[in-house]
Amino acid sequence: MSQAPNTVELDEHLREVVTALHRAVNYATPHVGEPKIVDKAIRDCKEILEVVMEGNVAEWVR
Amino acid sequence: MFRDKVELKDFEKMDPEYQELLRRILTIQADCEIGGPHLYVEKMLPNAPTKLDQLIVARTAAEEIDHYRKVARLAGDIGADLSFVLSSPNQKRYVEAFRGQITTWEDFAVFGFLIDRIGRYQLEEFIGCTYAPLERILPDIIKEELGHIEFGATKTAELASKSDESKAKIQKAVNYWYIKALDMFGRSDSKRSERYCHWGIKRRTNAQARAEYIKEVNPLIEQMGLRVPDPNKGRLYL
Repeated sequence: MSQAPNTVELDEHLREVVTALHRAVNYATPHVGEPKIVDKAIRDCKEILEVVMEGNVAEWVR
Repeated sequence: MFRDKVELKDFEKMDPEYQELLRRILTIQADCEIGGPHLYVEKMLPNAPTKLDQLIVARTAAEEIDHYRKVARLAGDIGADLSFVLSSPNQKRYVEAFRGQITTWEDFAVFGFLIDRIGRYQLEEFIGCTYAPLERILPDIIKEELGHIEFGATKTAELASKSDESKAKIQKAVNYWYIKALDMFGRSDSKRSERYCHWGIKRRTNAQARAEYIKEVNPLIEQMGLRVPDPNKGRLYL
């Protein structure tokens, strides 16, 4: 059975996205009392998630 | 009843009904996994009550995206391209519960408590399933869903005990999501549900799974001092 187009590429892209989100959250969580660190992490997560929510897969796997 | 184990290399030799049922269930599962973040990220990431809560929203979304990734990979390997669900508008989601938006912390909490619990039920259907690659991705996904459920249950209980006003808001959220949850199991007389069981893709019929869910969740709702909604009122799929 043939694999669907971009199966591996999308898998790898989303793996990187998830890693980036976890990295931001895991770094900020012990520093939750330090607004500069936490606010940056939340901004970074927001930026990453906005791209995921747009779902422009063609752009991601280009 | 079919009970053989099917690997990717065996899939193309399988009965067309098996192939179609597997494609369908993977599509719906992927749609639900990414459907969650689409419901709550926009409003709850910036508006969660505390910074820590905002980070938890981000982590929850990250885990659901990873669940989508794993299910979509399985589907892609059997030739089904599920990338389209990443850009589906909420109103086009397969499951009615995901057609909308979560705008309050009460809804986010109860969503975790009740709807992520449905997610756990749906994933547990695949334990021991005949499609081996699907069975293999379950442990980590279920573990993370348990975390979402626990967070939702904890927050729901906290909000229910905080004040009369808070309790009323949480009760309203429970009234809404409880009915959505029961409908997520589908129709009790579904023939497709029987075919999933025949092919060993799922373990229980829709009716069996729903009955077990009700038995599990009703005491939890009552322990929080909340009222269990009428299970038949406002239902789409009995």
